[in-house]
Amino acid sequence: MTGARGQEAQGEVFDLGYQRYDGPREGRSRARKAMYWDGVRTVLGIGRGGRAKALPVLMFIAAMFPAVVFVIILSFAGEAADFLPGPGDYYDIISLMLFIFGAIMAPELLSPDRKDRVLDLYLVRPITSTDYVFARVLAFFTVVLALVYSGQIVLQVGLILTAADPLDFIKDNWLDIPKFMAAGVLVAAFITVVPMAVAAFTTRRAYASAFIIGLFMISWVTTNILTERQCNVEARTVDGRITFEESACKPITGDAAKWISLLNVRAIPLRASDLVFDRVETDAEPSVIASRDLHDSIPIAAYGAYTLIPIGLLWWQYRRTRI
Amino acid sequence: MPPLLSAIGLTKRYGATTALADATFTVNEGVTGLLGPNGAGKSTAIKLFLGLIRPSSGSVEVLGEKPYESVESRARLGYMPEHEALPHNVTASEFLMHMAQVSGLPPAHARTRAADILRHVGLDEERYRRIGEYSSGMRQRVKLAQALVHDPVLVLLDEPTAGLDPGGREEMLDLITRTGHDFGISIMLSTHLMGDIERSADRVVVLENGRVAQVGAVSGFTQETETLLLEIDDKHDEVTAALKAMGIDAVRQGAVLAVEGADDAKLDAMRDVLAQTGARLRRLAPRRGTLADIFRDAS
Repeated sequence: MTGARGQEAQGEVFDLGYQRYDGPREGRSRARKAMYWDGVRTVLGIGRGGRAKALPVLMFIAAMFPAVVFVIILSFAGEAADFLPGPGDYYDIISLMLFIFGAIMAPELLSPDRKDRVLDLYLVRPITSTDYVFARVLAFFTVVLALVYSGQIVLQVGLILTAADPLDFIKDNWLDIPKFMAAGVLVAAFITVVPMAVAAFTTRRAYASAFIIGLFMISWVTTNILTERQCNVEARTVDGRITFEESACKPITGDAAKWISLLNVRAIPLRASDLVFDRVETDAEPSVIASRDLHDSIPIAAYGAYTLIPIGLLWWQYRRTRI
Repeated sequence: MPPLLSAIGLTKRYGATTALADATFTVNEGVTGLLGPNGAGKSTAIKLFLGLIRPSSGSVEVLGEKPYESVESRARLGYMPEHEALPHNVTASEFLMHMAQVSGLPPAHARTRAADILRHVGLDEERYRRIGEYSSGMRQRVKLAQALVHDPVLVLLDEPTAGLDPGGREEMLDLITRTGHDFGISIMLSTHLMGDIERSADRVVVLENGRVAQVGAVSGFTQETETLLLEIDDKHDEVTAALKAMGIDAVRQGAVLAVEGADDAKLDAMRDVLAQTGARLRRLAPRRGTLADIFRDAS
């Protein structure tokens, strides 16, 4: 290189050797934050390969897709499209996708740390197993909540923009916003803790995912079969004509059906969401109809048990983890 | 200066089994070896030092604190496990940044430290490759790097040369020596390989059956002894007889004749016998002790 005065610039590279660190040390609080953000990045595939990003991206698209379709229909059909589902129905529509996301991503977040034994490196740092579990749970909850809200936000914005008078629409329907937010928290918490508790008990991601999807599907199908309503059909002769009338429709398992309905894993968070929205679906599945025979406090208690017991199991499993 | 680590009557029992019994020793600056065969209590000792388990009796202090009472004290400790403990799908750079933050460093500082430490362990060029693509030697370096990334005061290394080929082992021992002596980070090196201790450590704590068998400077165990070793290619019997005639008892150990007492008169006599018999000399030197002698003497 030639300098301004035609002289050759000279430089020398010095190896400073090892430098001691005398910067800030933020201890356990920084460790917790690091575990949380690493969890969020892991679930979203940030800093990982393209394949790790594919599923979260697909799931976010899938969560918003029904909302986009509804908004497009609304924009063409206007108020004539009152048959379309609203915010209260949305979590029901995307529930299958949410469970699949939980079943795949919760093991992705927890299992490798145990399988690769990276957990051993965490637990010799200023962090406890409790810190680890709650940072991971919070990280997964954050992403699931974002997923749960994404479709609702698209739907809300679409409903407002396609309304004849957006301001009037907001005035009339503003309560939908806190309702979908509260119901979203309930749904997201459930989708977070149940798969994570399962994932805590195996280092094999595939086993955990298969178990969670199996639990979801088997409980869904079985409870709906057991709570199916059967009606007595009576033949009557009216004005010389024979008519058939249904009467005394009852679930095949009788009074036990309302309690069996509490075993439908899919329905538990959705029932909690329905209570927030004060929604009564007319053509609901049999187990949901059966659950209406219970006092509202029972599904709420069931939701609490389904959420708190997995959290407890998760915490207990990591508390007894030994390096 | 207070010791970095002190164990006083440290005992750990698992039911009826005593893994560590009444261990008392201190660890100061530099490289200290924790030597012992499998099952000697090394892993139990390391878990106690890291605060992962509580002692059954006795006490341990690491950097002035009881490790099982203070999680925060681990911020100045490093640990490299014997087993594989690395993620596969992240780069070494990402992983080290994360581990530095889990040790309490803010993100900006963690990034700088990760880059620095990867340079020191010789992975500068490879830092953006996924760890899953690394060779076993490179993975071992990443394990060492994660133990150093937060600039600990004391690092506990558990069998750091396990599974490495001779070249990789040499490089790892070089790194450990540099870390202990040039970086100023004190090291406790747990191993069953005496060669690793002789090569890297200043002091050694020898464990056997859960008890402390010896503690001292490595040089103290490997200093010259009072035995002369005469290694010759042929005429062993002739030389032995000639020495005997001069009043010197020589014990044959393979190609080597061992003579007790390393005084000048014996050296002169051995020279004369070699000249007289015409035996071909390979080596004439005092014997040095080895750490193996500790175990031989104990048994």
